Amino acid sequence: MTQKSNRRDFVKRSAAATAGLFVFPSIVRPSALGLGGKLPPSDRVVIGSIGVGSQGMSNMRDFLRLKNAVQFVAVCDVDSDRQKQAKDVVDAANKNKDCRMYGDYREFLEKEKLDAVSLAIPDHWHGLIYTETINKKVAVYGEKPISRTIKDGQAIVAAAKKNNTVWQTGSWQRSLPNFRRGAELAINGRVGKIKYIEVGLPDGGRGVGTPPIQDVPPAINWDMWLGPAPKVPYRGTCHYQWRWILDYSGGQLTDWTGHHVDIANWGAGLEYTNPVEVSGIGVYPAEGLYDAPVEYDILCKYANGIEMRVANSSRLKLGMGTTWYGDLGWVHTDRGDVLSASDPKILEEVIGENETHLYKSENHWQNFVDSVRSGKPTIAPIEPAFNAVVVALLGEIAMTTGQTIKWDQEKQEIIDNARASRLLSRPYRKPWELPTI
Amino acid sequence: MKKQYKILLLAAALTALISACQKEGVYKTLIITGQGEHNWEYSSPVLKQILDGSGMFSAEILKTPAKGGDMSAFNPKFSKYKLVVLDYSGDSWSDATKAAFVDYVKNGGGVVVYHASCSAFPEWKEYNEMTGLGGFNGRDESAGPFVYVSRDGDVVVDDTTKGAAGKVAERSDFEVRTLNTEHPITKGLPVRWMQASDEMLGNLRGPGLNMEILATNSPRMQFRRAPGAVPGGQRQAPPSPRFEPVLMAIKYGNGRIFNTLLGHADEGGGPAMQSVGFIATLLRGAEWAATGAVTQEVPYDFPTAAGTMLRPDFVPVTIDKAFKEIISYDITKSTKYYTFIRSQIAEAGDNEQVLLDIEKRMVNVLKNPEATAEAKKLLLRELSWMGTDYCVQAVKDLSSNPELTEAVDFALTRLQK
Repeated sequence: MTQKSNRRDFVKRSAAATAGLFVFPSIVRPSALGLGGKLPPSDRVVIGSIGVGSQGMSNMRDFLRLKNAVQFVAVCDVDSDRQKQAKDVVDAANKNKDCRMYGDYREFLEKEKLDAVSLAIPDHWHGLIYTETINKKVAVYGEKPISRTIKDGQAIVAAAKKNNTVWQTGSWQRSLPNFRRGAELAINGRVGKIKYIEVGLPDGGRGVGTPPIQDVPPAINWDMWLGPAPKVPYRGTCHYQWRWILDYSGGQLTDWTGHHVDIANWGAGLEYTNPVEVSGIGVYPAEGLYDAPVEYDILCKYANGIEMRVANSSRLKLGMGTTWYGDLGWVHTDRGDVLSASDPKILEEVIGENETHLYKSENHWQNFVDSVRSGKPTIAPIEPAFNAVVVALLGEIAMTTGQTIKWDQEKQEIIDNARASRLLSRPYRKPWELPTI
Repeated sequence: MKKQYKILLLAAALTALISACQKEGVYKTLIITGQGEHNWEYSSPVLKQILDGSGMFSAEILKTPAKGGDMSAFNPKFSKYKLVVLDYSGDSWSDATKAAFVDYVKNGGGVVVYHASCSAFPEWKEYNEMTGLGGFNGRDESAGPFVYVSRDGDVVVDDTTKGAAGKVAERSDFEVRTLNTEHPITKGLPVRWMQASDEMLGNLRGPGLNMEILATNSPRMQFRRAPGAVPGGQRQAPPSPRFEPVLMAIKYGNGRIFNTLLGHADEGGGPAMQSVGFIATLLRGAEWAATGAVTQEVPYDFPTAAGTMLRPDFVPVTIDKAFKEIISYDITKSTKYYTFIRSQIAEAGDNEQVLLDIEKRMVNVLKNPEATAEAKKLLLRELSWMGTDYCVQAVKDLSSNPELTEAVDFALTRLQK
């Protein structure tokens, strides 16, 4: 086996197996074989997880539910308790004790020879770990939002393009029928020409004040958890709660643009388009450690005249979800199989053979595995994911500066605003550096 | 998009205040109190303090005769005032005084109906038309329908259900929902915000004529607070499984009435009256009732769904105060002066002069040996994106402080210096 395991190696290996020239890849232990009538493990995507908290474990379980799709071999987390929990799940699935555990993603990436990596880590780490993982020439299942800053996102997209990476974003709503159907009705003009899109995302929640400084739990490597973010004492707000602190995340806004804005773009033909102008207001808690906006109301203008409003759902009549408004009506879609329209007849419309049929996937994780095997694009490639979070991140800059932000998509820069342009990145704490492509 | 979440800079506030004084003077206001089941002796001085403290109103307190006293002696000259605030629930006024009050409102007078005053005068038809909805003191279906808001945000007028009007829930922190975001009083408010330790009134009935419901309570989010305990924890059953109005705007003749059910008083005001949501909506409602318009910005410390916000001294933060307090910044005590400064930066937008003024104030803190390292870290974060050449030397001068090395690196990297 070669040291680097990439998609081409994978395909070669599969081909070799098919041709009866099967050799044991060094990374598959014999104990993983012979699972009663299933495909040989060499046909499984050899995968590891970085970040095995709630979302990382959820993704792992979704992969393990697939039949003969993946072979987890290693997990990595800054919390050793979580490493052990993840190992238990993997070992139970593999019926062995072989899952390897890492606390440092660099060691994980250096030692493991994988086809794919599943990433579910806090946003402030995305720039570094996503690019370094991509540069290892593996396929990546990466959680949205793509990045904490636009500069990080640009680096990730550039790395993925350079490496021709098979990439699936965790925007799994694309693989549900109501979202695809809603987007297909919109993109095929069933509500007329789309003029306006409304996207409702969750309201921010309750604060916690500022908890006192605490001893770091022995299982957590706090300095590694912080990574490129500013050094701060541990106050117990780590797993999960990082979402409400701007050093690590933009709050519900940046989290959820990877879902409902992504769907909005999909149905409006804006997947590969950035807004040209973004303005917005944010409501920030005046007190406490959590400083992400709890309410937000952002207006994006696109070059083709479409306007998109992205706001916390309590500000919108239709609440959560995506609504495309055209000159003939509207279509709305949301979680819980919600699909509604200004006229129910719109929902009965048949999309003709020669019309636009959006990519169909019935299982987001299977779709990724299929693409790793085939090399074909996934349903949620990286650029649309970046273009979804650009909406939130430019909105965040508009809210921070109190200004309307003008964006040059071609040059990927803010037009004529030095202050706002500085907010396109967050300097990394030493010694961390964003890899240059 | 129009910026809605703003607060006046001190300079702007002073200018506005001075021009207001020069042009029309402040709005003469009469607070009527003197009877009621609630602690009107606590609440009325606080109402005066809040109104006077805004610089927009000049209030005097008038007490009615005590319960059972001779009401014929109670005969205020309503027409002298731009605004009448009712903190009263007690004996009926004389017919002449009632008629004078109706005339005052019909001729364009402004009225604020505060908290328990919604229970006053069950027998006085015009009063109940002015308040829109009321409760208690024997009100039942003859007072009008139950009026509330459904989960979908639709106003429900229930004129079939019989029964007593008025219900009080045990005091708690509860969420308020801004229902009408277009009315001058509530335009630009967060749509969800927390009111601290207040009495939640419900099951109100009334004619509801020419009435707009501006905000409701939210039965979904309530956090009971035991005395001395921090917010959060045990949930409490709401008074009714529906969104009950808490702020209403009513037009009557040429007059305007703002009916607020918020602000239950303790001695010195207490948390419900100190709640920024109560204070800010009281002032906005009072201005609308007096003039038909609202010129006040939504304050930066208006509460959100994240939690209650109190102003123990009832006074808004100014930029001078914020930069004075930020010197001793300690995250465990309060973050509000920092968030105030951030709100000022966003408010300034591309106004170079205001931004430079803020930058100079920040640099003064950086140079101040008394200022905490934490304060300097925060300001370095802001200067990293909004600073100019003006701040660079002061930033560099901090690099020898080991507590600040990282923050200085962060700032200089972003400033590309």
